[in-house]
Amino acid sequence: MAAGERSTKEKLLSALSDMEVLSRELIEMLALSRTQKLPQPGEDTQVLELLVQRDKEFQELMQTAVEQGRIHQEMQQLEKEAEKRDSDIQLLQKQLKEAEHILATAVYQAKEKLKSIEKARKGSISSEEIIKYAHRISASNAVCAPLNWVPGDPRRPYPTDLEMRSGMLGHMSNLPTNGVNGHLPGDALAAGRLPDVLTPQYPWQSDVSMGMLPPHHGNDFGLEPPGHNKENEDDVEAMSTDSSSSSSDSD
Amino acid sequence: MAGVLETEEQARNRFQSELEFVQCLANPNYLNFLAQRGYLREKPFVNYLKYLLYWKEPEYAKFLKYPHCLHMLELLQYEHFRKELVNAQCAKFIDEQQILHWQHYSRKRTRLQQALAEQQQQQQQQAPAHGNPASK
Repeated sequence: MAAGERSTKEKLLSALSDMEVLSRELIEMLALSRTQKLPQPGEDTQVLELLVQRDKEFQELMQTAVEQGRIHQEMQQLEKEAEKRDSDIQLLQKQLKEAEHILATAVYQAKEKLKSIEKARKGSISSEEIIKYAHRISASNAVCAPLNWVPGDPRRPYPTDLEMRSGMLGHMSNLPTNGVNGHLPGDALAAGRLPDVLTPQYPWQSDVSMGMLPPHHGNDFGLEPPGHNKENEDDVEAMSTDSSSSSSDSD
Repeated sequence: MAGVLETEEQARNRFQSELEFVQCLANPNYLNFLAQRGYLREKPFVNYLKYLLYWKEPEYAKFLKYPHCLHMLELLQYEHFRKELVNAQCAKFIDEQQILHWQHYSRKRTRLQQALAEQQQQQQQQAPAHGNPASK
């Protein structure tokens, strides 16, 4: 289909017009030959030949046209097929996108679920331990007030002055015997309701499994110049006015 | 580099003293005591309080007899709270609220018992009332 060539339709039309011209000429010549002789002897044969030639051309062109029509029809059919395939592909693409979306959601939710499972597993404690601990903190009235508590009862949800002083920290240094935090030891004695002050081993201070060690802290807590270990001082100084670090305690 | 190497004995003692100390933080009067003497303003002490947060882990928390201390410890991480603790009224308020909260479960239990007792009383009152129409 070069741009320079004429289309089949044009060729057909030009052949037809040629034939028209030639046949008109022929008819004129025939009409003329009735009355007068031909100026040129072989002209009518020439015209006839030309006519036949044009007719043959015309027939050929018609054949070509038919062929072209068939091909054009085939092309259209193929185009239709291609369109159908295209729409199929688009449908498939849409379905794939949907499936991808659903899968992505499912994967995300599964990941969240796994995360929460991991979290739960990490924090899992045997129910027996929880019950033991719950019993421990409630039996000692540490989280739930005793049912017969009235204002004036020295028991508290925190270690009282007395308990603090009877502990290891309290024994680390000599403490004055006056009450510091509003809870004079005399009150407790007077009320006649002593907590187990006199037992040497307080439940709140240590536990049976002494295998437990605190986390290691390699450095000072202070931003003071090195060599000044403030942490021990704070520990003990809080309890008394004497500052004696625990490492220098001699038992 | 003080305190890097300690014997097991020292570590055990440190465990016990830290256990005692962290539980003392449950006592609002003690907190007031610390605040008034300026300990809560010292940076090393504040760092120490942050270090003590390890008691929140379950393997350490199970040794605590007074769990209120953990809440106090969390609050103590905030400077505003530490500043406020200098006031005696603040400490008193916390003390009162703490004791009221402490009594929450026993109050709830007495309320439940009262409700149950009332219910039983009502049932007993209704029972003789039902008996009367039958006798007629």
